Amino acid sequence: MSEAALPPLETQGPRFGIKKPEQRQDIQGDLSDAARVDTAMREFVRDFGAVAATYMESCVHCGMCAEACPFYVETGDPKYTPIWKIEPFKQAYKREVSPFAFFMRAFNLKRKVTLEELEQWQELIYDSCTMCGRCTLICPMGIDIASLVGLARHGMHKAGLVPHELWAAAERAEREGSPLGATPKVFKERVEWMGDESDVAMHMDLEQADVLVTMSSIEIQKYPQALAAVAKVLNHMGLSWTFRSDGYEATNFGLLSGNADWQKDMSLKLINAAIACKAKVLLLPECGHAYSAMRWAGANVYGKPLPFKVRHISEFLGEHVADGSIRVKKDLDTTVTFHDPCQVARRGGVFDAPRVVLAALGAEVRELQDNRGMSWCCGGGGGVISIHRADAIRYKAFQIKMRQVDATGAAMLVTSCSNCRLSFDDSQAHFHWDKTAHSLLEAVADHLDEAPPKPAAAVPSPGSVTP
Amino acid sequence: MDLLSFARGPALQWALVIFVLGSLWRLAGILLLRRKPDYTEPRSRATWRGALKLIVTRTWSRREFRASTAFGQSLGYVFHIGLVVVVFGFVPHILFIHSLTGLQWPGLPSSIVYVSGALTVAALVAALVRRLSNPVLRLLSNFDDYFSWLVTVTPVITGLLAVAHLGARYETLLAVHILSVCLLLAWLPFGKLMHVFLVFISRGTTGALFARKGAST
Amino acid sequence: MNTQRDPTVLESFQQQGLSRRAFLKFCAATASLLALPAARAAELAEKLAGMPRPTVIYLSFQECTGCLESLTRSFQPTLESLIFNTISLAYNDTLQAAAGEAAEAAREDAMRKAWGKYVLIVDGAIPRPEDGAYCVIGGRSALDLLRHAAEGAAAVVAVGTCAAFGGIPYAAPNPTGAASVQDLVGDRPVINISGCPPIPEVITGTIVYFLGFGVPELDAQRRPTMFYGTTIHDRCYRRPFYDKGLFARSFDDEGARNGWCLYELGCKGPVTYNSCATMKWNDGTSFPIQSGHGCLGCSEPNFWDGGGFYRPLSSGLWHGGIGEGLGVAAVAGVAIGGAAAVAARQRQKRTTEAGKKPPEAP
Repeated sequence: MSEAALPPLETQGPRFGIKKPEQRQDIQGDLSDAARVDTAMREFVRDFGAVAATYMESCVHCGMCAEACPFYVETGDPKYTPIWKIEPFKQAYKREVSPFAFFMRAFNLKRKVTLEELEQWQELIYDSCTMCGRCTLICPMGIDIASLVGLARHGMHKAGLVPHELWAAAERAEREGSPLGATPKVFKERVEWMGDESDVAMHMDLEQADVLVTMSSIEIQKYPQALAAVAKVLNHMGLSWTFRSDGYEATNFGLLSGNADWQKDMSLKLINAAIACKAKVLLLPECGHAYSAMRWAGANVYGKPLPFKVRHISEFLGEHVADGSIRVKKDLDTTVTFHDPCQVARRGGVFDAPRVVLAALGAEVRELQDNRGMSWCCGGGGGVISIHRADAIRYKAFQIKMRQVDATGAAMLVTSCSNCRLSFDDSQAHFHWDKTAHSLLEAVADHLDEAPPKPAAAVPSPGSVTP
Repeated sequence: MDLLSFARGPALQWALVIFVLGSLWRLAGILLLRRKPDYTEPRSRATWRGALKLIVTRTWSRREFRASTAFGQSLGYVFHIGLVVVVFGFVPHILFIHSLTGLQWPGLPSSIVYVSGALTVAALVAALVRRLSNPVLRLLSNFDDYFSWLVTVTPVITGLLAVAHLGARYETLLAVHILSVCLLLAWLPFGKLMHVFLVFISRGTTGALFARKGAST
Repeated sequence: MNTQRDPTVLESFQQQGLSRRAFLKFCAATASLLALPAARAAELAEKLAGMPRPTVIYLSFQECTGCLESLTRSFQPTLESLIFNTISLAYNDTLQAAAGEAAEAAREDAMRKAWGKYVLIVDGAIPRPEDGAYCVIGGRSALDLLRHAAEGAAAVVAVGTCAAFGGIPYAAPNPTGAASVQDLVGDRPVINISGCPPIPEVITGTIVYFLGFGVPELDAQRRPTMFYGTTIHDRCYRRPFYDKGLFARSFDDEGARNGWCLYELGCKGPVTYNSCATMKWNDGTSFPIQSGHGCLGCSEPNFWDGGGFYRPLSSGLWHGGIGEGLGVAAVAGVAIGGAAAVAARQRQKRTTEAGKKPPEAP
């Protein structure tokens, strides 16, 4: 499917979008209606393993998941009930693969999914779900509803039923290497530019380095100072590190749009680059789904354990602030509240690292009422921020965040995901809010203590990085 | 054969056969599906502990969720606990289980069981009203939800009628009660009532997978 | 020609040396036994006073004679007053002095004389196969004897559970093909007085009631509701213990010694209709539960096959255990479920292969 077939994209504004918003094309490809449904069903069937089946058999329709979802809580619309979002997927499972599937089909106890249903469900599977996983936490049966949404997207994608912007971004990322136009050429240019601007030594395409540094296109294009920040910190640590123009894009729009093949392509680029430069650590940037894609799925698309460790920049910072290999000045003399990115904290397991960093920076941390694993989603993850028709409900969902941040009374808001940052920026503009989301990485880079280290402090070897 | 002998005999026997066969069919059919190996570096290897932990801790809501879930969850607990008291605390029931398994334990005073039964029916009716009036639940609910409700409340009601000797001759009431239990047993493997087994498997699965990642539970 | 009229019941009493007053007391006592109001006692007296002693034929088939033994223990009316004063018992294997062909002839003669008017009492079940060859008395099958006797009867009273429902001969596997009276007699009123044996006064009371007032109100099992209208459980003096949940666990434990409910020890009181808990036995002395043993349910059909006298009512009624059947069900369940999973996995493989084919041309 070529770029020319879709209405042109807008990549220069504060947010990714399409140039003519009224010309949406939320159905891709020329499949017949029947073929579309069949394709969706086939893909659904491929994804029904024992774990997904366990989950889909276990729902007792208690409705509690709705109370955890920011989209339901702030709109009151029952269609945003998380388990309802995968209803066609669940129905397909029961009809095709469940233990009694034969009878379901023979007596038509579960109808075949129709194209109308899939079209209706597109907004539930994409627009109103960031796969933040709060629903997973509330479900009394322990169903990981968020993972089921991710699986359902596979079928939707293959059937050509992805929301326009998300499809276009994913297609672009697969073709060009970046959803936002940060091609390898552009990447190298911006790295060089940031290196000059901030007077930081940059390493690009080294043959060998202990740390492979990856970035998100959001940082490269919108917050390029992150390039300088990470370089500064790693140079401060004295580590051997490199960017690689053959593997740098950590966001994974294959994962977000539901294209498993593209997800694999995008992950393999990073994995192969890390292998090529014999890296011991693949460092992921401030991005949430990048962590999910590489830390908790990378080895599985690779087909075997990875020959290097995968770390999120926030957990990396936390660990090395703690062991002294990153020295910061304790002069962030202000009250700070931290927004935990859903995929890094709740879904990923990184909770304490940001607090360690903030404490070392001298900040007085005022936790959100719902913090760490219980933090409310900013509403922009999972590709939602790219879908313009979802703006209305995203802003509604964001209101919880605003209320909670304001309630802490903290002067500064910090997070460690550039997509969250994008979502905060966009909502800040929409609501004329007075809080800006700041980057944890940039905070560390801005407060590095470059005074020579005390003699006893050892330079850590990257191989010793521990989670 | 009179109705009571039929209920206590062939009906109960076949109901138990269907219950056992159907439950194991469903569980095997789920658990023997494809499992993909996980090659990612675990944060923790204590997955069994994680599984057991989540089985226990998911029994109540996390603090942050309590306000919004308190009513529904409490209602659920009233009838679940009520059912446990009635099914496992009433001496004639204990004797039935004894005839099936050989296990036995002391029973509760019958009046406590009767009160519990009445509360169970009240809570089940309230839960049905809630299911019909709450927009989220109305959207989600299907035949399974309503039929499972019916199949659960009927034994409790017929049991109460039987001990009260209300509505027909006692042996008829007893037969109807036992037949309603047969229906419950026969239906259980095929609808949402299967959660009596799946709750451990589903919670355990998530507990294990999330312990591996160190993710929030 | 001999025109001597048979003496009336009253006259029989008087011939025995009992006064009219004694006769009236008999009627009052019997009416009281039947829980009839006072007015009906007078009615009974008037009826019996004026009628000759009705002919009663008592036939015994597949029985243990326990029912007759019970009948002989009746306190009101006593057996003697019954057979000497109230009825004319023309035939009873056990009680009669005569035997052999003379006895048979006397029976036929009495039946002929009172054809259409005599009361036929039957105890014991009747085997059907081989033309009734499994019970033959004096060369005639029970089947044949019953059919013939029932033809001329005004009513048939089936005494004991064997006659009423088949009883012990009918119990599984019923090798003789035993049947009950009501299985065989369709065109005469049948009154079942079930019990193994029935309470003496229930037998005699029902007979006298019939003589005075005809067929009493019967339940669905054709038993007189005046005696079989409520369950043992409904009248049991240990009911408060059942309601409280206090049960004897074994025959000599604390509960048993304290007179707690015998449900757990297999009492079938809740589903047994009889008067044991009120009238009791031996003129109101006691009844099984009072003596510490659970009710067997002996006045109910198929009580022998009710799961066991010591297995509680709530236990399953499976003969020969259920473990094996459930074991087979378990194995079958896992096998079928496994097959379903395998089939699903095949589907997935085929789907994955199909998905790898090039997509439809745009």
